[in-house]
Amino acid sequence: MTMETTAAPQAATPNRSFLRDNPSVMWFIGLLGVFTVIVTVLSEGMGAGVISTNLVKILGMTLCLCLIAIAMDVVWGYCGILSLGHFAFFGLGGYAIGMWLMYARTEIVIRDNLAQGAIPATEQEVAEAVASQIFGVVGSSDLPLIWTFAGSLPAQLALVVLVPGLLALLFGWLAFRSRVTGVYLSILTQAMTLALSLYLFQNDTGLRGNNGLSGLQNIPGALDVPQAIISVWFFWASAVALGLGYLLFAWVVSGKFGSVIRAIRDNEARVRFLGYNVDGYKLFVFTITAVVAGIAGALYYPQAGIINPAEIAPIASIYLAVWVAIGGRGRLYGAVIGAAFVSLLSSWLTGGGAPNVDLGLFRIVWTDWWLVLLGLGFVAVTLFFPKGIGGLFDYLVRKKP
Amino acid sequence: MLGHATAQDASGSPLQDVLQTVQADVANPSRSTVPAVLGALLAADAPGTVDFLRAWSDREVYERPDDGLFFYARAAGDDLTLIDIDNGAEIATVGTRDVNQIRPNAGVRREIGAALVAFELTHPDPDRRIAALDAAARSPEPDQIAAIQAARATETDPAIADRMDRLIALLVARFDQDSATRIAAIEALRGDVSTPARSVLNQLLQTRADFAPTLPEDVNVALVKTPGEEITLAAAYEVLVAAGLAPAAPGRNAIRDALRANVVDGAVGGVPVHQLDNDASRIVAYQALQDAGTLPPLVTEADVAEAVAQYVFFDVYLEPDAAVTAAAAAAQAATTTKVALFQFLSLSFDALSLASIFFLAAIGLAITFGVMRVINMAHGEFIMMGAYTGYVVQTIIPNYTASLAVALPLAFAVTFLAGVVMERLVIRHLYTRPLETLLATFGISIALQQLAKNIFGTQARPLTAPDWLAGAIQINDLVSVAAVRVGIFVMAGLFLLLLLYILNRTRLGLEVRAVTQNPGMAASMGINPDRINMLTFGLGSGIAGVAGVAIGLVAQVTSEMGANYIVQSFMTVVVGGVGSVFGTLAGAALIGSLQKGIEWFNPTNTLAAQTYMVLFIILFIQFRPKGIVALKGRAAGD
Amino acid sequence: MTLLEVSGVSVTFDGFRAINNLSIAIGEPELRAVIGPNGAGKTTFMDIVTGKTRPDTGRVLWGELSVDLVKMSESQIAKAGIGRKFQKPTVFEDQTVRANLSMALKNKRGPFAVLAWKATAADNQRIVELADEVGLTERLEHRAGDLSHGQKQWLEIGMLLAQDPRLLLVDEPAAGMTPAEREHTTDLLKRAAQTRAVVVIEHDMEFIRRLDCRVTVLHEGSVLAEGSLDHVTKNQQVIDVYLGR
Repeated sequence: MTMETTAAPQAATPNRSFLRDNPSVMWFIGLLGVFTVIVTVLSEGMGAGVISTNLVKILGMTLCLCLIAIAMDVVWGYCGILSLGHFAFFGLGGYAIGMWLMYARTEIVIRDNLAQGAIPATEQEVAEAVASQIFGVVGSSDLPLIWTFAGSLPAQLALVVLVPGLLALLFGWLAFRSRVTGVYLSILTQAMTLALSLYLFQNDTGLRGNNGLSGLQNIPGALDVPQAIISVWFFWASAVALGLGYLLFAWVVSGKFGSVIRAIRDNEARVRFLGYNVDGYKLFVFTITAVVAGIAGALYYPQAGIINPAEIAPIASIYLAVWVAIGGRGRLYGAVIGAAFVSLLSSWLTGGGAPNVDLGLFRIVWTDWWLVLLGLGFVAVTLFFPKGIGGLFDYLVRKKP
Repeated sequence: MLGHATAQDASGSPLQDVLQTVQADVANPSRSTVPAVLGALLAADAPGTVDFLRAWSDREVYERPDDGLFFYARAAGDDLTLIDIDNGAEIATVGTRDVNQIRPNAGVRREIGAALVAFELTHPDPDRRIAALDAAARSPEPDQIAAIQAARATETDPAIADRMDRLIALLVARFDQDSATRIAAIEALRGDVSTPARSVLNQLLQTRADFAPTLPEDVNVALVKTPGEEITLAAAYEVLVAAGLAPAAPGRNAIRDALRANVVDGAVGGVPVHQLDNDASRIVAYQALQDAGTLPPLVTEADVAEAVAQYVFFDVYLEPDAAVTAAAAAAQAATTTKVALFQFLSLSFDALSLASIFFLAAIGLAITFGVMRVINMAHGEFIMMGAYTGYVVQTIIPNYTASLAVALPLAFAVTFLAGVVMERLVIRHLYTRPLETLLATFGISIALQQLAKNIFGTQARPLTAPDWLAGAIQINDLVSVAAVRVGIFVMAGLFLLLLLYILNRTRLGLEVRAVTQNPGMAASMGINPDRINMLTFGLGSGIAGVAGVAIGLVAQVTSEMGANYIVQSFMTVVVGGVGSVFGTLAGAALIGSLQKGIEWFNPTNTLAAQTYMVLFIILFIQFRPKGIVALKGRAAGD
Repeated sequence: MTLLEVSGVSVTFDGFRAINNLSIAIGEPELRAVIGPNGAGKTTFMDIVTGKTRPDTGRVLWGELSVDLVKMSESQIAKAGIGRKFQKPTVFEDQTVRANLSMALKNKRGPFAVLAWKATAADNQRIVELADEVGLTERLEHRAGDLSHGQKQWLEIGMLLAQDPRLLLVDEPAAGMTPAEREHTTDLLKRAAQTRAVVVIEHDMEFIRRLDCRVTVLHEGSVLAEGSLDHVTKNQQVIDVYLGR
């Protein structure tokens, strides 16, 4: 696979600062900041009320999707690993934070209830009541082992990073060590995702089976704060995470490290003969992007309010690849454009926001035809615009003197 | 049959007429008169006689004193609705005092039962004899032995005679008076895997739990349960509590409720309420109340142990004869081994069937991905397309056999065409960019899936197998195979042969191999690689379509059915070894048997089986990255 | 002294014996040419030394400590000091000449070290020198994909020198070069061989004559003859199987 151009100018003249070498990063951070201010000012919770709380949530979630999209771009567009598993890491991050949200909120409610009794509840009674409240739906009342730290926010925050990171490390180590590459690796990552979602679908694996975790929009400790405010908080957090993620990845892919991983993408064997431990580089990229995906998921699901195993199904990871491809691989802002464009268009068209088109004999109902359009559009992009929307962008920028 | 002729008289109530000839003996049956009555009724054999006898025996027949006629009845509030015994019509609703319920005594009822069995067992119609045997096997009774033995003496059909012999053996084993006879019969059941034989042994070995201060001598003890080992201390104590031999131990909830009920001035037993948020202080409070006599004493673990130690807990066989239970246990052990073997056989058939489905789903990929190295994520949608073709054909041609005969080639044609179109329009341009092929074909896959949803809806569509494929092939009570699965197995075999023939023995196969190994060289020898790629891709897609029809016969036809198979199909090809049809076969066999094997360990959870199977595959690829059938050397390098 | 010692190595591909009990020793410094007919195993020999192909039997001993390269990965072998130039020029076309050279520079190769790497003045100096050496000074900031075939050959040689290896394995360096460039290549290789070991695979007899070094003739996977060019060209077997006519 050969990519012809790359947006980030390479270490042209050395020893200049990273940001001066990569003006697109400054542009991106600036635009993101402006966007955040506009949304805040227009929001229902903190400003003019032009943008509904629901829309603020959708925009915040879109920022999280942009974050995982740039992670995907680094692992695929730069390093050449078409991972069909990054949405699984995203979901794992969501589950890790979801466990705390659900446990802590249930505990608060249960304590309130038990306080009504004539005598105060013991810790054990609280724990048992919480467990049966959460797991009654799957016919159990015991707290599974993996919920051991669910009551502790720092522990679950650590898990947001550790679970996707360690899984990626283990899986990547196994896969790269045995030199699985190309489409084989894609299929293998897809299998991993499938195994994980099937595992989570089971009732007895301790994450409530296909019920998933719900009520995640209620933040323990801020249960009195209206959703209109919370949505803006999460929007800010998502924007900050996206900005930092963009900075991190822009720094990683510029400079010599970026050179090496792009070289790996283009000719892995040659890089080995230069003395680079290709497996180590791939593992590094795979793991760090998995961690960022987990963080994106941990910010996304409190805004979505619910997470279930269907979110992790292999198809989600393929959609991720679709976004990045449509946005344009090998350029970080391309991934952002692709994720934002496709996911917003998708929720507009499938949410019934778009008017149906009446062609006389035939009526185009967007909820029915959007996926057909996306599928064919995607084929067209792959065939005719391999550089995606970002490529168009490059073209325009280059045209200008 | 003779009686049947006489029954067709003008009155339209043949059974009532026959009954009226022996009215007094029916209304007031006694042991001495009942054999004659039974003889007369059964000889007449009016329709419904058997049902009447059963109802008579079960005290469900009523006599109307006014005219001496007999009726069935149904409760209608406090009254009874009388029902005609010949045609089932409702006659009238009367008070319970207006009719007499006929109540045969136990002796009479036994006579009726024996006569019924004997009558049915010697009935000229063999199906009725078999039905009677089945009924007897379902609810075995000691007095059936004589009736069956009598019937056996006159039985001429060897198959039925054989069944009778077996049933006699079962009944003897269970009910005979003589211990030696029973043991001999039990020995004969050793290794018999039929359901009745196994249930006889199970029934002989049924136990009940009991306890006593010392182990009694006069019972057939199955197992002495040491508290703490075969039975938990808590469970043993529960038994004593249930028998009223020990005080109930209040649990945590009971303690809490007791305390809650005894709050006085913000404290319980002197402990302030706000301190009662842990078990230790709750017990202190409880004990205070216990000392004051307000609450029954707490039961400590020492109390439990002491109470339990005074008794022996054991299981007792319901069957008192120890020699019989020992023989039955030995026979059951022998049977269990055999049952396990047959279960393994059954599992193997399941695995084989699953493997054939995986093989069918994957074999098209074995060509497009395995031979051409083109990854086609829309392969699953071609399977779906084939299945929907079968469904559409079935809605047009109502005869299932004919529609299947049309659907198979049509599905091939439809998906062949779809494959060729896709190859020409999309894949051709991406041969050097495999990852992009993956994505483009995925785009086609989601478009096709949604298209199918728009056309056929989200509801599952049936694809019905013709009658000759609908049944099951029963080997014994443990092993049976659905005929349609045998059909799919045969089809998978045919495809394997066909494909091997095409790839190894035809010009097309030769050219395909030439093009995949060295396209430049092949082109220079006059082979048109475009044409070969197109045909090969069409072939792989066409086979997916036919597989779709086959899979549709056993699974639901939905727009998402292809997606369910795609990952497994790729796994099958990769595990088997890319580029080899035999590899795909090996991969399908491995994955199929593995999945069934894991399911066997945890039969309730097929999701877990799939999870572990995928994990196994991931690990397998670590150790054999090139699959089971690995191509070696330079040609295998990518 | 002996830097590389290949002894008793055999490799089979699907029944075809590509290398058959091959034994070669290379000293340091030394310039060695390897010639032989197509399929003699010349490239496979390089594949084995660089870890691309694992031999079925035999040992490949390296350096003063005589470590067995057979057990090492490609990148470990490269780090141990063996550089390779492929028959078909393989440079990273998507990246600039500078980036290509910079990647090849002898620096720490670990992911974290590379992430933290910043070009020092010495590094830049070295890149400019190398570019000068291979005649690409003007094109340092151009994409390698825009270079001509010959320039790509040069770039690859530059990358090889940037690695500063103890042993250079060079597969058909002169293919597609003008006579002047060939001469330059010869000089370059001869100069490199003054301080290190250089093994050159070439078909062009004129080129080899100019290298003026010891020649090893491979045939059917093993050494047919070894010695000066004049010596081997007089060998009857060599004439029969290779030189012909």
